[in-house]
Amino acid sequence: MSAQGGLEELPGELMMWVLIVSELLVFAAGLTAFLAVRMTDPLGFAEAQDHLYRTGAALNTAVLISSGFLAAQALVWRRVEKRTHARVALVAAAALGVLFLGIKGAEYAGKAAQGIAWDTHPFFTFYYGLTGFHAAHVAAGVLLLLLVAVRDAPQNIQTAAMFWHMVDLVWVLLFPVIYLLG
Amino acid sequence: MGLSSSLLKTWLWLTGLSLLAAVATLAPMARWVLAAAILLLALLKARLILARYLDLYRAPGWLAGATLVFAIWTVLAFGLYLIPVLMR
Repeated sequence: MSAQGGLEELPGELMMWVLIVSELLVFAAGLTAFLAVRMTDPLGFAEAQDHLYRTGAALNTAVLISSGFLAAQALVWRRVEKRTHARVALVAAAALGVLFLGIKGAEYAGKAAQGIAWDTHPFFTFYYGLTGFHAAHVAAGVLLLLLVAVRDAPQNIQTAAMFWHMVDLVWVLLFPVIYLLG
Repeated sequence: MGLSSSLLKTWLWLTGLSLLAAVATLAPMARWVLAAAILLLALLKARLILARYLDLYRAPGWLAGATLVFAIWTVLAFGLYLIPVLMR
């Protein structure tokens, strides 16, 4: 198999895959650095982690994987010309993205009420940095999903859905490392 | 509405694996065993998203390569988690 043939096997736009790999590398580096710094103060990290709202974060996992399902389903529907179904699914996926941001916002507000800021402990520097950067991607993804609900060519929907699945993929790795590994 | 059965199955698997991870955190077990279980479940979820949501099942070579990279990172993450546990 030639290298070109290999790349041609990839579904969707090649540039989207370049973006996905780049983003995954950034988050993987951040999470690896988090775990490396944790080695210097495991008890402090565990104590800081106990301040996190794990139930909300677990709920957000369900929200994102459901949203990902709707985005993937939208593409299936658009390919068989069920355009209204696809648009409704995209708007519903975006709405779940907004719900994710709402839960995340409540979590940040809770931390602020406890007087916890990014510089309270190195744990929170990583927590705000990584979850905040991820939340920024969620916000961008919501806008993309709404955009392609209007400009609904199958290729547009596929590109936005791929971005959204990347956001989902990052959360699936970020959630256990930041919230659960105590 | 004609939902895709493979996507629905994927969503059910992802939901089930997430519930399993939540239940595991409540189970009485050594922390390092729990960490290994949680990371393994995360790896399985990542593979499902890559295969079915991102359609990499259409490119088995790329799916295998991506799974291998994720598995290596998962082992690295577990190793970094384990070092302070072993030094206690």
